[in-house]
This record gives sequence, structure tokens and C-alpha cells, in this order.
Amino acid sequence: MLKVRIIPILTFNGFGLVKTKNFSTPRMVGNPVQAARVYNSRGVDELVFLDIFASDQKRKINLKMVGDVIKECYMPVGIGGGIETIEDINDLLKIGADKVVIKTKALTDVGFIKQAVAFFGSQCITIAVDVIKKNNAYMIHNKLGLELSLEEFVLKMESCDVGEYVLTSVDNDGMMQGFDIALVDLFMKTTNKPVVAVGGGGDMSHYSELFTKTKVEAVGSASIFHFTQYTPLDIKKELQKHSIPVRI
Amino acid sequence: MVAIIDYGMGNVASVQKALNFLKIESVITNDREQIEKADQLILPGVGSFLQGMKNLQSKGLDVLLTNEVVNKKKRFLGICLGMQLLAEKGTEPHENVGLGWIKGKVERIENIPLRVPHMGWNTVDVKINTFYKDVDHKDFYFIHSYHFVPDSKSVIAATTNYSIEIVASLQQENIFATQFHPEKSQEAGLTVLRNFFINA
Repeated sequence: MLKVRIIPILTFNGFGLVKTKNFSTPRMVGNPVQAARVYNSRGVDELVFLDIFASDQKRKINLKMVGDVIKECYMPVGIGGGIETIEDINDLLKIGADKVVIKTKALTDVGFIKQAVAFFGSQCITIAVDVIKKNNAYMIHNKLGLELSLEEFVLKMESCDVGEYVLTSVDNDGMMQGFDIALVDLFMKTTNKPVVAVGGGGDMSHYSELFTKTKVEAVGSASIFHFTQYTPLDIKKELQKHSIPVRI
Repeated sequence: MVAIIDYGMGNVASVQKALNFLKIESVITNDREQIEKADQLILPGVGSFLQGMKNLQSKGLDVLLTNEVVNKKKRFLGICLGMQLLAEKGTEPHENVGLGWIKGKVERIENIPLRVPHMGWNTVDVKINTFYKDVDHKDFYFIHSYHFVPDSKSVIAATTNYSIEIVASLQQENIFATQFHPEKSQEAGLTVLRNFFINA
């Protein structure tokens, strides 16, 4: 039986790990290589590493540093940040990434996503879907000035046969007050691909709520691991009490 | 010496890292001489079946590997796409020929009530125990939308359940292959690699 995945998310600003609230006010939280080493020793299911400023600052991800992070990992790793070409993807796969996470390029160039899926297979291409509520509608958060609804964007990505979505609630990011259950529930109904739900985990009950009230099979979190004593294993033990399949 | 075949289909570094961890000497290569000299071969790979075969063919690796593995019976491990390419036929994105070392076809996982790709940790049920000592019913990491459907059940070394039975591993003479990623499956995966390369 497939187990749900508990995925620490490392967000990077070009120098060190940072944690945002509502995608702003990044706070330094440490060294990425050290963090990867700790998560590996704890046997986490998977790791996601995102350079969240690469596209904004129009720079490429630091391959040397990402390589050092991946070297610590004997589990799958997804890497994102400033990916724009087939070559960029190849560079990341070569140093051991299993999946790449694409956001900005997916907003502007659907053809590229199709091309990437054809070349690397859909399982390799994960799309970051950052959602913000505006006038009670779910919209795609972006810094390009695009007015794009969640539904419209997902339809485009579905037509590309991408492999997975990382669905983040910008409104709940870093707040540690629980997940946007309605958003996750809605999203799971619009796609048959695996989804990683992100944004809002702060307490054990938030995770059991997420997995009992929605059909999501993976969760990504950062704040709870940076700012509390909880580990991915604690979450799994909590989920086990609710008969949700976990790998311990 | 283990030769990890580099044919531009990703993820060779992770495989070598796992071998390094187990202190198994290896080289990442597509050089004929090095491949001929190696006593064991690994074909890793992620990506589409068609692209994988194209890349092998463009470097003449399909002919070379077939000679080394099928004719000379060199010990061989295929991982993920490296397992699927052993089939006679693939369907990703459309029908095309594979290496044909193991009779069967690679088909898209479809008409199931679960999500595709099959992505994450799933329990493996062992059928042929040669390289699965200590890891029967353990979880391994899968990430694939296509699966190998062999003509004969006798080559199935392990399966996993994803509402349908999916072939998790194949074994035929000197050929061993896994649909899951042993190099990404932490302790359980390292055990399989240790069983294949050291304890066998």
C-alpha cells in the first residue's frame, strides 16, 4: 500500500535557508547542507529544496550548493528555482535531483512544460502552484502581474501531463494555523496527479485534519520543523493513530 | 568494477553515491572500452522510453550492452527506466522497440482508481528471494507512470500493490532489475544493492 509522504521543504534565498510568512518577511533559519543531513538521518520520505528568489533575481540556481545538499540525501529530492531550459533540468538531474519544481516558467511558457515532459517523462516534472485568495476566488500568486485563476492554470498544466503538483496556500504560509482544507479538497478534485499540500502546518492536529478531510497523499512543511520540537516522525505517529498509512 | 551507463537520462550521480556508500568501486561512463572491462553493469535512468532508446542507439550502446549482457552474460542491474528498456516494446509516448532482453511490454498505468504517476513509498512483496534478503515487505520509493508487463510470471522477482499488481522487480539469469529506486530507498534500497553487488 502506498504511504502518505511527509516532506520537509527547504526554502533558500541564495545565501541560506529562510522561512517566509505569506511569502514575505524571509527569516534566516540555517544552513541547507546541515538541514539536509539532519533530515536524511531522520529517514524522511522525500525532500524539496526551492531557491525562492532565483527567478525574481534572474539568476540560476547554485548547482554546487544544490549538489552538496543532494549528497546528504539517500531519499528522493525535488529541486526548484529559476528553471528555464532543458539544460537547466538536465544539470539538476545529473547531480542527483529526482524531480524538478517549476513555477515561473510554467506561468509564461506552456510549450516548455510540454517539451520538458516529453523529454524527461512526466514523473520528473513537478509544478509549483502558489495560491492566494482574492475577492474570495483562488488565484495564482505571481510577481509577473498576471491575473490567472487557479482553475485556468491547472487546466493548462493538465494538458501537459505534468507529474505532480506542490500546492501552496500563500495565505497560510508560515502562519502555522492549519491547512486550507477547502483549497486542497477543491484541488484534489481537479487533478488525478499526486499533490503535495503546503502551507499552515503548525500542530499535530493540522496534519490529521488534512489527511482525514482530503484525499491528499503528501504534505510539505517547513515552519513546524524549524520553530517547534516536532519532527516528521512525530507527524507520522500522529497519522498512524488515524489509520493513515505511513512509512515508519 | 561496476560501470554505471551514462546515456543522458539523468540521475547517474545518485546511483554512484549509493555505491560509494557501500564501498563498491564504480565508474560513470559510456565508453566502449570501460564498459567491456567492467564486470558488472548498471543501467539507471529516468525519462521517457522513446528518448531512452534513442539515446542508447545514438551512442551504439544498445548493441554493445546486448553483447555484454545477453551474449557474454555479464551481471546487470537495471533501475526504473533502465528496467523498462529491457522490454521488447514500449508505449511512451507511442509504440516503439526496446532492448528486448526480457519478453514483455511496457504499458501506461491506467484505468485504476488511484493517482498516476505511482509516486512514493510502497510495500514490496518478494517472489524471488535472491537479492531481497531482509527486505521482504519493506517500503521502496517508486516514481513511474508506465509499468512492465512481462509475458512470463516466472521472471517477476517482486511486486507491489497499487490497486493493481505492479511488477516491482525482474530477474532472469544474469539480469536483475527494479522499478523502484534502490539508490533513493534509504536502508531498504541499500540492502538490495548490497545483496546484489556484495553478498551475491
